[in-house]
Amino acid sequence: MAKIVVDPMTRIEGHMRIEAQVEGGKIVDAWVSGTMFRGLELILKDRDPRDVWTFLSRI
Amino acid sequence: MGRDSFYESLIRRGVSRRDFLKFCTATAATLGLSSSFVPKIAEALEKKQRPSVVWIHLSECTGDSESVLRATKPTIGQIVLDVISLDYHETIMAPSGHAAEKSLKDVVKNLKGKYIAVFEGAVPLKDGGIYCCVGGRSAIDIAKEVAGNAMANIAVGNCACFGGLPAASPNPTGAVGIREAVGGTVVNIPGCPMNVENFTATIVHFLTFGSLPALDSLGRPLFAFGKLIHNNCERRPHFDAGQFVRKWGDEGHRIGWCLYEMGCKGPMAYHNCPTIRWNEGVSWPVQAGHPCIACATPNNWDAAYPFYRRLEGIPGVGVQSSADKIGLGIAVAAAAGVAAHAAIRAASKGKSDSGKE
Repeated sequence: MAKIVVDPMTRIEGHMRIEAQVEGGKIVDAWVSGTMFRGLELILKDRDPRDVWTFLSRI
Repeated sequence: MGRDSFYESLIRRGVSRRDFLKFCTATAATLGLSSSFVPKIAEALEKKQRPSVVWIHLSECTGDSESVLRATKPTIGQIVLDVISLDYHETIMAPSGHAAEKSLKDVVKNLKGKYIAVFEGAVPLKDGGIYCCVGGRSAIDIAKEVAGNAMANIAVGNCACFGGLPAASPNPTGAVGIREAVGGTVVNIPGCPMNVENFTATIVHFLTFGSLPALDSLGRPLFAFGKLIHNNCERRPHFDAGQFVRKWGDEGHRIGWCLYEMGCKGPMAYHNCPTIRWNEGVSWPVQAGHPCIACATPNNWDAAYPFYRRLEGIPGVGVQSSADKIGLGIAVAAAAGVAAHAAIRAASKGKSDSGKE
């Protein structure tokens, strides 16, 4: 039973980690993690709704 | 290193001598150099090896990479990508995982003190730096190692320069810019995103003169961030004449009057947007009819906020008093209104309500 880890996952926007459980040459389970958190929801709290697009276009 | 020069790599790809010289001329203009520098730039690019560049993504949205990758005309696009030898860039590199990390390690180890490190994104310091990890390492760990061994460090975009969007109040992840995180000299090319012309010009300056361009106190190249947007804005005559957009889509908005009353932050923003513009000089936000949000200013997400509220305390609003004296009919009435409004606003600071329009 082996575990494969691919981190960083390239050619995507953002940061991602992939872990896969391999049994007998087959992947039986897998986990994907986003490894960056900026807390945009917390930043947007109590801001003017008209300004929100300027923040969220930077996701 | 066995790398070819920038010029050779262009010729190999079928870029003509003429296009190459056009690029040199445009870059000299961006740098604020006279045309007499064009041969010097051309000579440097013809002879010097392309510098090895590693591009590190931290807490960011990849907007600055987009800015680089979308560099317009095919030939100029090649130029931008060919002026450097991009040895590590997560978004466009072929290998993933261990193989990707090996590329980075190889450059840091084998080209120690010889590569240029470009940082895109802020460094989150809170809670031991867990809010941005690549290959199991925290952003601060990576930044320290890569910046510490580089010949020069360049921060691109407001996040890498000053913390940017993730550092907006209440800064949930304790994000800071590269210079604050690792110390030392860092060239800051802010903007949200940064303008690729300024990035390329900085690299070309480095290749041509062997030094980084002159910087302001915030580490920003003076050639790009030495002038106020307000002072170079094509709508400035309308500001001086008291011709303001009052409502989205009104007559003034349709014919391109000043966006100051709609919240434009041009009077506080240093950037060369009005002169070099975006997308191969096609347009820029104010030309397109939207107020500037001061995206190259530190902490703009709070300092220039709210974006649709009129900026207070602008020196230069007094310019209208001269227009008063000249007597320009309706323009004077508008200008007088603005001056009165400014006086009232100054008196009742902290109780602003003009954002409700």
